[in-house]
Parts: sequence; C-alpha cells; structure tokens
Amino acid sequence: MKKACIAMLLAGGQGSRLYALTSRTAKPIIPFGGKYRIIDFPLSNCANSGIDVVGVLTQYRPLQLNSYIGSGQPWDLDIASGGVCILPPYQSSGARGEWFSGTANAIYQNIGFIDLWNPDYVLILSGDHIYKMDYSDMLEKHKANGADCSIAVIRVPLEDAPRFGIMSTDDRGFVYKFSEKPKKPDSDLASMGIYIFTWKKLRAYLIEDERSPGSEKDFGKNIIPNMLQNGEKLWACRFEGYWRDVGTIDSLWEANMDMLSPTLIDLYDRSWPIRSRSPTKPPHYIGENAAIRHSIITEGCDVRGMVTNSVLSSGVSVGEGAVVDYSILMPGCVIGAGALIQYAIIGENAVIGAGAAVGLPPNGKTDIRIATCGPDSAVAPGETVEAGEMLYSVGGDD
Amino acid sequence: MSDMHGLIYAYHASPSLGGFTESRTSASLPFCARYRLIDFALSAMTNAGIRNVGVVMQHDYQSLLDHLGSGKDWELSRLSGGLRLLPPFGIRGSHIGEYRGCMDALSAVQTYIDRILEDFVVLFRGDLAVNLDLHAVLDAHLRTGCEITAVCTENPRRGTSGACFVPDEAGVSREMLFSDSVPKGAVQSIEVYVITKALLVRLIDWSRANGRGHFHRDALAHYLRTGGAVGVYRHRGYTPSICTAADYFNANMAMLRRESRGDLFSDARPVYTKGRSSVSTYYGENASSQNSLVADGCYIEGELVNCILFRGVRVEKGAKLHNCVVMQDSVIGENAALSYVISDKYTVFSKGLVLSGNSRLPITVPKCKII
Repeated sequence: MKKACIAMLLAGGQGSRLYALTSRTAKPIIPFGGKYRIIDFPLSNCANSGIDVVGVLTQYRPLQLNSYIGSGQPWDLDIASGGVCILPPYQSSGARGEWFSGTANAIYQNIGFIDLWNPDYVLILSGDHIYKMDYSDMLEKHKANGADCSIAVIRVPLEDAPRFGIMSTDDRGFVYKFSEKPKKPDSDLASMGIYIFTWKKLRAYLIEDERSPGSEKDFGKNIIPNMLQNGEKLWACRFEGYWRDVGTIDSLWEANMDMLSPTLIDLYDRSWPIRSRSPTKPPHYIGENAAIRHSIITEGCDVRGMVTNSVLSSGVSVGEGAVVDYSILMPGCVIGAGALIQYAIIGENAVIGAGAAVGLPPNGKTDIRIATCGPDSAVAPGETVEAGEMLYSVGGDD
Repeated sequence: MSDMHGLIYAYHASPSLGGFTESRTSASLPFCARYRLIDFALSAMTNAGIRNVGVVMQHDYQSLLDHLGSGKDWELSRLSGGLRLLPPFGIRGSHIGEYRGCMDALSAVQTYIDRILEDFVVLFRGDLAVNLDLHAVLDAHLRTGCEITAVCTENPRRGTSGACFVPDEAGVSREMLFSDSVPKGAVQSIEVYVITKALLVRLIDWSRANGRGHFHRDALAHYLRTGGAVGVYRHRGYTPSICTAADYFNANMAMLRRESRGDLFSDARPVYTKGRSSVSTYYGENASSQNSLVADGCYIEGELVNCILFRGVRVEKGAKLHNCVVMQDSVIGENAALSYVISDKYTVFSKGLVLSGNSRLPITVPKCKII
C-alpha cells in the first residue's frame, strides 16, 4: 500500500537526564500536564495532521511504552491500513542483531518498514517535546519549496542558542549553515527535532552514512551536515507557538508549570485534541477542608489538603492538612496527611508519609532546585527530602 | 467463557424526571460527573466476564446510541457477540405500541432471546446505580438450585415495582409481596435477576399467550402461583433508585459521601463509561472548592460547595455554586449564584444570574437553555 507520508517517532532514548524518573521507564511515557504522557503530543499531532502510519522506535525499557501505545486506539490510530506500529531492534538471519546506535541508525534499521508503505516523504519525530503542530502544513510547504529536507525551527533567545542545533537561513528560508550547539551562534533559529525528508533522498543518505566509518549515525551530527555539504535543498520551516523540550528535570517541571497558564498552549481546542490513554477512574473529589488554587487536577484524585500552583495526574491522593505547592504529582502517588511538598516532582505510585517534607522554595527567583521522588519510592513519615535531592525506589525491576 | 448472557432494559423513561427524560431514557441519564446510568449495568456485566449483552430499547434512544457506540468502552465490541442493540423487531402483525412492562419488551425481541446460547440470563434494569458482583449472584443462584434469583436490598426503596420477598433460611422465597405492608425480614427486589434461559422463554411464551405485559405482577406471580420459587441474593451496597428529580439530586449528592461513593466505585470492579478526550480540570487563582466531585475538562474560577460537575463545565470568576449538579459543557457566567440547581447539558447561565431551589425541590434546567 502506498502512503504519501508516514511518521517515524524516535522513542528509544533513555532520557538519562531525567534520572530517577526514567530509571524504569522510557522518557516518552513520562506523565505530563495531568492527563497526558509526553508521547501523546506527537501521536495526537500525527492523527490530527492526517498521518495515519506512525512507526514508534523503541529500545530503552519498552514494556510500559508498548502497553501504553497498545493498538493506538486512544489516538484513533488503530486502523487496518496502517496505524501505529512498535518497532524494536531485531535480529536478522545471518547477521547479528544490533541495538539502535543513533537516531539515523534507528531509521536505517527500519528502511524495510518504511519501504512497505512506499512513501514519498518521511516525517521524523522525537518523543520528548510538548507542542501542537500541523505536520500536513509543513509537508505542503516542503513540497512547494521542492526541498529535500525541511526542518522545523523556532526562534530562541540568543543566549539559549548554544543548547540547540542552530540554522542560518537565507531570506527564503533555505539553510546555508547548520551548527550543532554552537558556542557563538550567528542565528536564533533552533531545530525542533522535527524533520520531513523526501524519502528517496533520505534513504540514500542513510545507507551512505551507515557505511561511513566513525559516523555517530545521528541526524543532527551526520545526516543534516552531509546533506548540506552536498548542496541538497534544506528548508527551515518556521514554527510559532508553544514548544518545549522536556528532557531534564528542570525543563519538565517548568513545562508542567506552563500548563497552569492555559493561554500558553490551548489544550481545550476541540479542533486539535491532544488525546491520551486514560485509566478508568471516577471524578476527582475535593474534600470539605481542601483548598485548590491555580492547579490542574485529574480524574481519580482525592484532595483533602491544600494544593496550589501544582499539577496532579490521575488517582493522586492528598491527605488532610497536607500542603502541595509548585509541584508535580504523577499518577497514583499518595501524599500523607500533613506532609509538605514544595518545588518537587513525585513519581508514579510514590508514597510520601504523613508529616514528611519534600523540597523547599527557592532562595530568590533563580535558585530553583527541584526535589524528585522516583516512581514507587517511599518517604517515611516525618522524613525530609532536601531541595534538589533525588530519591530512587529500592529494588524492583520490570 | 461466561455462562451468563446480559439483557439490559433501557426502554423506560421515568415521567417524573421532568425535562431530563424528554429526549432520553432513564438509562442514559448522566450521573455522578461522568457516567450514564447504563454504565453500571454494562460494567457489572463486563466485570463478570459476560461477553454477550443485549440492550432492549424502544424509543428516544438517540442519546443511548450515541453513548454506547460499538460497546468498545465496556470491552463489548467483539468479533462474535459483544454488545447488541435491540430496538423493537417490527414483525408484521405483532403487538407494537408502548411496552406495558418488561414482558412486552422481552417479547418484542424474542427472536434474539431464542438464539441465546448461554444457560443463564441476567436481566438488569438499565437505570440502576449499583456496583454488583454478578459472579456472586450466579454462585448464589447455583447454590439454591432455583430457576430464578432476585437481587434484593434490605432497604425499602421507592419507585421500583416494589416487589418484595421473604426468604427462608436457604435464601428461597415462594411468595412475592408488594410494597407497603411487608413483614419484618422482607427484602425488596432491585430488579436485577439471574434466570435460566429455559424459564425466561417459558415466561415470555406464557405472557404472550395470555396477553400479559408485566414481569412481576404477571409473569413472576404466575410462576410462583404454579409452584415456582425465587432465590434471594442480598446486596448491601448503596443502590439508589432514580425516578424523580429529587431522587436524582439526592443520589448525586450521596456520591459526596465516601461510603456511598465506595459502594459504587471500586478498583476491583471499575465502572466504565464513554471516553472523551478532555484535559485535566483547571482551578484558577481565585477558585475555591469544597466537598465536590468534578470530572475532567472543567475550568473553574469561581466557588464550588457540595457540587457535582460533569465534563467540560466552565465556572467563571465570582460565580458561586452551592449544592448543584451541572451536566457537561455548561457555562456559569461571572458572579452568577446558583443553589440547588440541576442543569442539563450545554446550558448557559448568564452573568450575575441568581437561581435558588431547595433540597426538596431543586430547580431543573433543560438541555441547551440560555438563561
């Protein structure tokens, strides 16, 4: 069957900068914004953009990711002629099987899957960004410009530019220079890690890169620079709107806090729904002595304490007299009575004992150090977890 | 594979529910912030591993069809069997008109019932809010050896047929009493039965031959008169009967109590409902909220006390809601003050509006109204 464009979603990275939160699960299914997991954003964007074949490349701790995606039904991607397909590394006859050794290598190893659909274009996505984007719009521009590769870019403050892949473009948006994390950036257009390639071109570059010794087999480090060097047409597709990388504890916390300002990203918009797989839970209950302000609460929560400036995923319980401020409580975690949670991320099913104290408000505005309790971790009653401290759960393995 | 087949009555619209059943049956009445009443019957069946479920409907079933879809949300969208929607089969010459009672309804779908392969059928009122363990009911049914077992509550309730039984030590009753004057130790049917398929077919045949339309006063009474016996299964959890607007209001408010809520919602037997992709609920800087149940997708900047809010409700700045049930996608404008109000879907209360009912006579506002 032929498809004009299919998507490949890179979801295999460990997300090691999220430490405790990804010690047991892959980054793309980290809970986000109450109702969501990070991967809901690219999956929903695909479904909303009319892209109905999505290959999800998994590698690191795929168990929960695989069961979360399932048949793709929550995103309307459970269709017979395509839909969502999990693509783990595999063994092939004769040759030894190998892990994905880079983003480009992951796609290279799945050339067979892509060829099944004989697509004209391939959209490459990653599982660690929060944004709403119409990929079909980008695809139209890709075609109109006759580009070989289109890269979504967003303007960033110049002082932040050294953290990104930076594009320099001519006045028509064609890229003449690409620098990965430049010390002295000469542009403020950062790559968002979203690429549309003309498949024939990309296929050739992937095969060539695979053969070249010493290549890191990475899109940003190898494929894009090689294409640029060979004079291929690279076009920068400007994106305006909300986009955040949530690859670190701080950025994950900040992006969750952004969800408290519904004007930054409109998740109520019925024309572009972000969908998720929801557990079966009753409505959330707010107790007699509870107080909730400037917060997000999800179904299945039971709040009896005070919650301010915080994001609560489903099935969280907050005991009487507990105070939660500027914190993220992931699904199923339990905050004991009288506990004090400030500037913290509490992982899935973690249990914070009564009267415990986790995290501290910053000294001044910039010194925010988030305390993190990993999934399934436990804090004994009355115990303290310092600002910036990271708590892993003991034992257990999936 | 389950040996039970489910049949849910969803054709009835209680006339005392006012506007809420104008365009829907009682079974598709929204309840407890995110459910429809029929979710309880369907979930009980799914949780007991029942894979074949028929929903008996007659008219005003648009809302029900929209809610049920393929049955996917209750895991009843199956390659064989699964959910079957049963409007009246318009067989030429057969009785068509308002169903007088369950026997008329069952009779209207008899060709479906004839093809049931399971030995046992669960007859379930579609407008009950109850979390039943149907495995346990079947166990009780098999223990007594009766052909039919009634699920009963010890608390007398209004609004249902009022059929009561006085079970002996073995949990079997050979007579049925109605409503007011029942002796001590009597239990009242909640109108959920496990019945052998053979007896069900016999009762339908008898009712049709004798022109009888009701289950209790006709078919079951006949069965008991001719030597039959009814097994009794006692259900102890909260089981409201929702027949009037006040019943409806009270049953919703009861969900604010932990014990009643625990009776209807448990992790062991979850209640499934139609999915809807909504965001989590947002509480604004000046929001205030106590003793309330709130579904996803709401946007709350005002004050809530003792309220039930369905998905997608918007409470604007300064609005005060006390003792209200607000169905999905309604908007309460700035500084509006509502107390004891039940509002149907898509209702808009304009800025500054003041509306007060009382607990015995809550104000009901029909669908899509702008006040």
